Amino acid sequence: MRAIRTALRGGLAGRRVQALAIGLVLLASAAASQLAAGLLAASNAPFDHAFAAQHGADAALTVNAAKASAGEAAATARLSGVTAAAGPFAEATVTVSAAIPDTPGVVFQAFTLVGRSSPDGPVDDIVLTAGHWPTRTGQVVVSRDLADTGSGASMSPGTVITLTGVPGSPKLTVVGVGVSVTNTADGWVLPAEMTALGSPPDGQMLYRFASAGSGAAVNAGVAAVRRALPAGAVLGAESWLAVKAQENQSILPWVPFLVTFGVIGLVMSVLIEVNVVSGAVTAGTRRIGVLKSVGFTPAQVVWVYVLQVAVPGVIGVAGGAVIANLLAAPVLGQTSQVFEVAPQSIPLWVDLVVPLAMLALAGIAALVPASRAGRLSATAAIATGRAPRPSHGYAAHRLLGRALPLPRPVTLGLAGPFARPGRTLVTLAAILFGAVAVTFGTGLGASLNRVGTDMALAGTGHVQIGLAGQSGQQPSPGQPSAAVQQAEMAAVIRTQPGTLHYVTQSDDRSGVTGMAGTASVTAFAGDASWIGYALISGHWYGTGGAVVNTSFLHATAKRTGDTFTLTDDGRAVTLKIAGEVFLPGNDPQILTNLSSVEALDPSGASPQMFYVALRPGVNAQSYQNAVFAKLGPGDYHQLGSGSGVLLQIISGLVLILTLLLVIVAGLGVLNTVVLMTRERVHDLDVLKSVGMTPRQTITMVVTTVAATGLIAGLIAVPAGIALHHAILPIMGNGAQTGFPPAIYNVYSPAELVLLALTGLLIAVASALAPATWAARARTATALRTE
Amino acid sequence: MDALVQLSDVTKRYDDGKSPAVAHVTVEVGPGESVALMGPSGSGKSTLLNLIAGLDRPSSGTVRVGDQEISKLSETGAARFRRRQVGIIFQFFNLLDDMTVADNVLLPAQLAGVSAARARARLDELLASLRIEQHRNAYPARLSGGERQRVAIARALVNRPPLLLADEPTGALDSATGAEIGELLLDLNSSGQTLILVTHDPALAARYARRVIRIMDGQIAAAVAPA
Repeated sequence: MRAIRTALRGGLAGRRVQALAIGLVLLASAAASQLAAGLLAASNAPFDHAFAAQHGADAALTVNAAKASAGEAAATARLSGVTAAAGPFAEATVTVSAAIPDTPGVVFQAFTLVGRSSPDGPVDDIVLTAGHWPTRTGQVVVSRDLADTGSGASMSPGTVITLTGVPGSPKLTVVGVGVSVTNTADGWVLPAEMTALGSPPDGQMLYRFASAGSGAAVNAGVAAVRRALPAGAVLGAESWLAVKAQENQSILPWVPFLVTFGVIGLVMSVLIEVNVVSGAVTAGTRRIGVLKSVGFTPAQVVWVYVLQVAVPGVIGVAGGAVIANLLAAPVLGQTSQVFEVAPQSIPLWVDLVVPLAMLALAGIAALVPASRAGRLSATAAIATGRAPRPSHGYAAHRLLGRALPLPRPVTLGLAGPFARPGRTLVTLAAILFGAVAVTFGTGLGASLNRVGTDMALAGTGHVQIGLAGQSGQQPSPGQPSAAVQQAEMAAVIRTQPGTLHYVTQSDDRSGVTGMAGTASVTAFAGDASWIGYALISGHWYGTGGAVVNTSFLHATAKRTGDTFTLTDDGRAVTLKIAGEVFLPGNDPQILTNLSSVEALDPSGASPQMFYVALRPGVNAQSYQNAVFAKLGPGDYHQLGSGSGVLLQIISGLVLILTLLLVIVAGLGVLNTVVLMTRERVHDLDVLKSVGMTPRQTITMVVTTVAATGLIAGLIAVPAGIALHHAILPIMGNGAQTGFPPAIYNVYSPAELVLLALTGLLIAVASALAPATWAARARTATALRTE
Repeated sequence: MDALVQLSDVTKRYDDGKSPAVAHVTVEVGPGESVALMGPSGSGKSTLLNLIAGLDRPSSGTVRVGDQEISKLSETGAARFRRRQVGIIFQFFNLLDDMTVADNVLLPAQLAGVSAARARARLDELLASLRIEQHRNAYPARLSGGERQRVAIARALVNRPPLLLADEPTGALDSATGAEIGELLLDLNSSGQTLILVTHDPALAARYARRVIRIMDGQIAAAVAPA
């Protein structure tokens, strides 16, 4: 044992650079794999995990305070089958306008305000993602779902909201942003605030039931509560299953890309770790021979080398765990926003299992070559360890030295990978994964950007102004009627300098023959082809035609070119599907000309939205400001993409994850080059002794991995594009949509050339530092020994 | 006669803080001379050779070869100096195992940017004169010690350096082969090649060098004695 300790101490002290390399690669691999595993864990049923962690409500009931007292409502907590309950909390639905700088007219027509004294409780913990819980009246915590207004602006602490529908229009200051996993409210205030609202508020009761795994079970629980309260006391009930279905619809599109990054991260970490650790032990073969020659048994040799890896390895994985958890805060914070759940962290089991697994992997990676070397005779081990196995790379040296008209340091470098083909392949794989991540991430970022543009109809730079009546909303109390607002808006737009032309939009819902439920029908009074709706297939509609979204095609089993019949109150209109339009979501949607569907509504549909095309050179924001300044009071509001903030978050996440993977790939290359220069220190000294300059040394060392990087980059481009084209449809399926060709075709020729050089860049950038060290190192005593 | 190699009050101290490896050495070697640096192991003779070759820098003092002050050269300057001004022969040959004999010999010429045709012509000339032509395409591992050392000598001479440095050139060879290599060095010197030889073998020094410098504990221990 003492001999093992002595050999171990000597091995670590004598190979400090190698120990540092092993520690570093384990640090990077452990951090990357832990983060990747955390990402995978976060992407696995995020709603269910958040629901459990935040004690989500199986059912949220609104109880009419006029029919059931607070005591009666509270008593339902003791019903059989109810395992936990909270409430009654005063609840009111109000109209809110928010004063957000540069975003006028943000109005929420049905804002659910709840009075709670604290965010905690037996059911439905509210997790604060910003600010604090109200400490006095006049303060409100808004739901994170609502904090992102959809206009690209956010309600952050400090924003003032006005309860426009409440007498006196009280103002509340946003002091926090919170997340309720079951979306039980849009805002929370102290209970005392609710009494100031005038009309007696209703009560919100939140329940967890002994059995809530199915709709029937939840309904049974709700029915029991209904029975326990006076007739008609329960105004409404929302099941957690409905919320889950809705949330999962938002979550599903984003899971595939997070899983992709997670898997790439894990595979890269494993490859790099095995490569560096086994390489480090193989480099010690000569020393193993020396140890054997002085009496070490094969088992003792294995112990020495496994421990030699384990010592820096333990330090590395411990550091990696710390780094992973530090990085997890921003990364998983963003995934939580994507998944619309409370901020996530790396699960404890990942914190424990992944570092141990990486350490075990390092042990195995050391064990195999150490066992092999341990079985060799002492002289064979010394001979084997002196240089790469005979014949490997010799032909490459010969051919490259003579065939290519390149400087000798370059051909020497190019021949380098052939000396250790196994290691070269693993290095190639590590760079390849990094470069694939870059190609995939770049494409995904561009596609998401395009999705954002298409969904916001922002491609044509027009202005959208919505009116009351949109989506069935009624004008706020005290505001002019919808018809007055519409007429006023039309008059202002017609006379506003800068208006090129405009088209109005009317929305309604109609039945479709052969389809359950109703479809959304959007009818334009005029040519709307310029607005910017992206087509997945087919063409924009003409007279008697329509374009429909993917959800509609799925629901009706129709295809482009087919006809369908819209029905409303016994009237029917048949339209031909001219194309498939990009409108994600599971709501079947139809876009058509108003004249084509007039027969459904002889009284005439009233417009709810104006799309205004601007004259060249007119600034959209200035135009909007001018229009709003001319308009009288009303529920006018500018519109933007509801998914804009989310897409920004996703794009940021793609960038962070891509960078992380590139760094891991780069560290893998760096360690491989460190290992290689250590192994070839004798050859480097010989080359220096015959006149190789530092610059030539750097060129040679960098070239050793440059070709590998270039090849990896060239393979990575088609692989990354293939991955992009494979993952996008899966994401589209989650969002119940196909994608227009433009969302796939995001790689320009210039980008492809740059992406093809990614592998080369990763390799060169990572090899530069060790190459410089190798060039600067003084010619060692290695020249005097054999 | 101007000296080709001039060491003036050269001291080399390593980082470990012990006594200097070389202390206050002043030596001159003229063009065409054959000088043996002789002394026991650890006396500092190889350190001295490394300083002359520009493989190492003195802690103090100056080292000049021709009109260049080696001790002041940058790493790049030292490498360029080694390419053109010196050829080095090591005890253990220091050939690159993954290159053929021809590639090993050509390497300094290629690094120096010598044209392929000129380098090939010089290669042919050296392989013929050193009688290793038949091993042109062989790998060093397949050669005997003497053949390897001939390859190392060919590599050292490929750029026609004015100075040849040999660090225990026969130390890894049997006595017959060692004598053969010694004769070869002697022939080279006879043809005008300046030679500085490091050895701990008095007989070798006496036989192949025209001047012997004895070194002990990093200092010149004995007066320069003509052979």
